[in-house]
Amino acid sequence: MLELRGLTRRFGTVVAVDAVSLAVPAGQMLGIIGRSGAGKSTLLRLVNRLVEPSAGQVLHDGVDVTALHGRALRGWRRDCAMVFQQFNLVQRLDVLTNALLGRLAYQHGLRRARVLLTGGFPAAERARALAMLNRFGLLAVALQRAETLSGGQQQRVALCRALLQAPRLILADEPIASLDPANARLVMQALREANRAEGISVLVNLHHLETARAYCDRIVAMQAGRVVFDGAPSELDAARLRAIYGLTEAELAAEAEAAAARPAMA
Amino acid sequence: MSGTEVAAWRARLPEAFAPPPRRRLWRALVAAAFLAWLGWALAQFGFTPARLWQGLSGLAAILRLMLPPSPGALWGDILRGLAESVAMALLGTVVAALLALPLGFLGARNLVTATLLRFSIRRLFDGFRGIDQLIWALAYVRAVGLGPLAGVLAIATADIAVLAKLYAEAIEAVERRQVEGVAAAGGGWAERLRFGVLPQVLPVMLAQALYFFESNTRAAAILGVVGAGGIGLQIAERIRVRAWDEVAFIILLMIVTVAAIDWLSAWLRQRLIGGRR
Ligand SMILES: Nc1ncnc2c1ncn2[C@@H]1O[C@H](COP(=O)(O)OP(=O)(O)OP(=O)(O)O)[C@@H](O)[C@H]1O
Ligand SMILES: [Mg+2]
Repeated sequence: MLELRGLTRRFGTVVAVDAVSLAVPAGQMLGIIGRSGAGKSTLLRLVNRLVEPSAGQVLHDGVDVTALHGRALRGWRRDCAMVFQQFNLVQRLDVLTNALLGRLAYQHGLRRARVLLTGGFPAAERARALAMLNRFGLLAVALQRAETLSGGQQQRVALCRALLQAPRLILADEPIASLDPANARLVMQALREANRAEGISVLVNLHHLETARAYCDRIVAMQAGRVVFDGAPSELDAARLRAIYGLTEAELAAEAEAAAARPAMA
Repeated sequence: MSGTEVAAWRARLPEAFAPPPRRRLWRALVAAAFLAWLGWALAQFGFTPARLWQGLSGLAAILRLMLPPSPGALWGDILRGLAESVAMALLGTVVAALLALPLGFLGARNLVTATLLRFSIRRLFDGFRGIDQLIWALAYVRAVGLGPLAGVLAIATADIAVLAKLYAEAIEAVERRQVEGVAAAGGGWAERLRFGVLPQVLPVMLAQALYFFESNTRAAAILGVVGAGGIGLQIAERIRVRAWDEVAFIILLMIVTVAAIDWLSAWLRQRLIGGRR
């Protein structure tokens, strides 16, 4: 179980995440919605410590994640894979190596030294990565540089990297916001599949309430860093939405669309 | 436009027609001061038309002696000297690039957050850059003796600081997202550098090293004159005995070599940097 306790992050005078407390049982698929700037990205990045909290704690199965450092922190990041809106692949590395980055945290001692020195992974790891790429229809481009791929393909590579981490938790920050509908469906289904078949918990930031309703067990709505709704998708009806945001679902979706169209908002 | 209209506009905005008298006086003073300084400096260096003319005719005499260029008797020495110069340039650049790599990482703002350390490293780079290769060569010839080793060391020492600065700048320009992807997968600092930063900066770094190699093949020729190995020694010797036709031959060979290396390195750099969509 993942537990956030009074989690807070300030950037100067902006309180990006404001005293958020949440408990996410293992195996849950949680959708997080909110308008641009609500603090969704910051919340996810607090969980894997890409951002340090100003106050509060993150606990996973009773372990205080916010106190980890060094090797233990690397281990935690391996256990909670992240999928980014902009994919965050290393553009000049080939697709196979990008996928293999998900296996980096499993290389220790001499093997780690060899991987760092030569950039080459053991054959068993390569085979494992190829099988994963094959599952997502990427075998044909495995030896191409990541920069030559389309956005949809890149996000599939990022998913392969995430799944190869054999994580217990996946943090997905607007994973489909830059994708066409077909790829968006593919990515959401893959997250759903990982959640259902392997019991991996998923925390996913989404622009569209509709998508959250279709795939998630539970929805959290954020506003100005705070959690303003937490419940089953069916509870978040038009009336609740209007009470929270003063907008209809269609207006909210249009706003999200506009925000996503703005170039490269992390 | 009639004369009265012109006069009217002139009255309305005089600065649009001529600068104010104060500024004109100022400009005249600056110009006079510059001319006076130029005249004084030329006189100091004994720059008279007569000497200029003598110099030009001396140069013409040398040019006449250069024709036709001839390899002389010591073909082997010339080729060996040329090869030595190129080897010195290559070795010096490789050593400089290898040492500049870690220094560049240390000097990069986005990697080294210890401001004082980074600041002192950057100032050190700046200090080293102020000292020319030839000065280093003179120092190394005293330190390690005559020969190509002094040349290699001079080239390397002079280039480390400049390359390290360029490398630090390349590292500062990396895309943070790609590094973050490695971090999020559980990569430690070594993994982030190796798989997140290095693939982004390596082609740029290699291209810069190649560029330095080009300019070092030109510079290496001169190092021999002060005894630091290479073709420069052959040239100096032949100038001493006024074998200008052989000097001309060596110069032609050098031009061909430098051109070939420029071409090769431009092609390689193109291949390294290219390949983007
Ligand atoms: N590194 C940072 N430095 C300064 N301010 C930041 C930083 N990261 C986020 N913020 C601020 O924190 C607030 C929340 O940002 P966050 O990116 O978490 O929002 P979001 O809900 O993900 O928005 P979007 O839907 O646009 O991605 C914003 O006001 C943002 O400007
Ligand atoms: Mg965001």
